[in-house]
Amino acid sequence: MTPGVTVWRCTACGSLFFPRRLLCATCHSPDFAEAQAVAARIEEITEIRHVLGQTHWAPRRLANVRTADGLAFTVGLLDGSQEGEEIALFQDGTAPFGRRLKESAA
Amino acid sequence: MGQGLEAAIVAVGQSRYVRRPEPGETTHTFIRDAILAALADAGMAASEIDGLAVTSFSLAPDVAIDLAWRLGLSLRWLHQDTNGGSSAMNMLGHAARGVHCGAARNILVVAGDATGLAGYAKIAANYNRATSDHLAPLGHGGPNGVYSLVTTRQMKAYGLEKSDYGHMAIAQRDWAAKNPFAVYRDPLTMDAYLAAPMVADPLTRYDCVPVVAGAQAIILTRPDAARGPHAPVHIRAVRNSFNFDNQRGDGLRTGISTFADDLWEAAGFGPDAIDVASIYDDYPAMVLAQLLDLGMIPDGDLGRFAREAIGRDRRPINTWGGMMSAGQPGGPAGGLNGISEAVLQLQGRAGARQVAGARRAVATGYGMTLYRYGGTAAAALLERAS
Ligand SMILES: [Zn+2]
Repeated sequence: MTPGVTVWRCTACGSLFFPRRLLCATCHSPDFAEAQAVAARIEEITEIRHVLGQTHWAPRRLANVRTADGLAFTVGLLDGSQEGEEIALFQDGTAPFGRRLKESAA
Repeated sequence: MGQGLEAAIVAVGQSRYVRRPEPGETTHTFIRDAILAALADAGMAASEIDGLAVTSFSLAPDVAIDLAWRLGLSLRWLHQDTNGGSSAMNMLGHAARGVHCGAARNILVVAGDATGLAGYAKIAANYNRATSDHLAPLGHGGPNGVYSLVTTRQMKAYGLEKSDYGHMAIAQRDWAAKNPFAVYRDPLTMDAYLAAPMVADPLTRYDCVPVVAGAQAIILTRPDAARGPHAPVHIRAVRNSFNFDNQRGDGLRTGISTFADDLWEAAGFGPDAIDVASIYDDYPAMVLAQLLDLGMIPDGDLGRFAREAIGRDRRPINTWGGMMSAGQPGGPAGGLNGISEAVLQLQGRAGARQVAGARRAVATGYGMTLYRYGGTAAAALLERAS
């Protein structure tokens, strides 16, 4: 798990994307620069309690989050952080996660 | 084309719908059964079919031509659709234009799946690259994880209560009780709805469509060539939308919002003229979103519509029980079931659930969750010839 989530910024118009696109949805430029989203605010939370075909499932918490730049994506929550809270973002492979800013600083 | 496409649906057929297929029952056999039922309904020989459209999540590695071969159909028009919940509507549009232009005389449109639970879970985790890379590793549990977040967003935006969605589940269960093909037909109470186990907050068991095995088929032909036993149902307008907002919105509007005005104008009638509605019901929140986008909730008060139009007045919406009670075969076939129900209603053949005097219907499709919500939406307006 590494700090920050890799997002993509169109070098022509500045639009941000996650997941990565082939062309910018705003200006259709093919040129992107990687950027790191390090924090976001939680907008909605769900807890996945049952999954079809899984008999031994440990519930997971997921959240829709939004960065200060306005980019929204879905993360796995690593703690009990709540709607409206600001969280630190992490990445495990291609998967985005988040936990409370305070605890991650500790 | 003031009066729409010169194309009509003349027959419908379906296989049985089952939670668990018997040994020997596969996607292919369910599709065959639906086709045989549709041909019988049309009074048509298989040799008269010269066009075929199919959608399925579980036909692979076979594709449309393999199906044509296995069915012994020699064709001059062939299409396979990959647009999930709006595949049926997409096929309807392509087939209607194919018939209208003379590319084929009689087109069979079929959708079916028998994924089994394990197969469905595999599809859900590998739905597309965004899902397998960015959602499945979180344990998102398939579309439930996506639409639970959308539902919470809708509840906050429109001030909805959990019970508002319950009215829809209960009303559709009441309709399903009158549909012998529905997998769940026992009455549902609000107490039972609210007490159901949580699957993905705020979605409980009755908000999530039961996966079933089954197939559905319809046959299109030119209205002037229709000679079957049932009144042709005219396709007045079909419109589609794909990736309308690049996933940069909130998922509370659908692509239907981009074409609704054009759709009604093309058909020459408006939402008030609709007698029966088949609204793609993968999740209750998306039914309300589509009705709003169609202009069928004029004051924009989703909660009141759920409580009064659906709960109290039993507005004829998803009169076959919807996928929530009748079952969702894989995904693609659900949309075709809604079209078929509209046809049965307009032909006066819906049995105990018949809406008296039904003449005009709307049917929709919605689906293909790209990342945060669905990326495809479509709608058709159907009318019985007077
Ligand atoms: Zn750009």
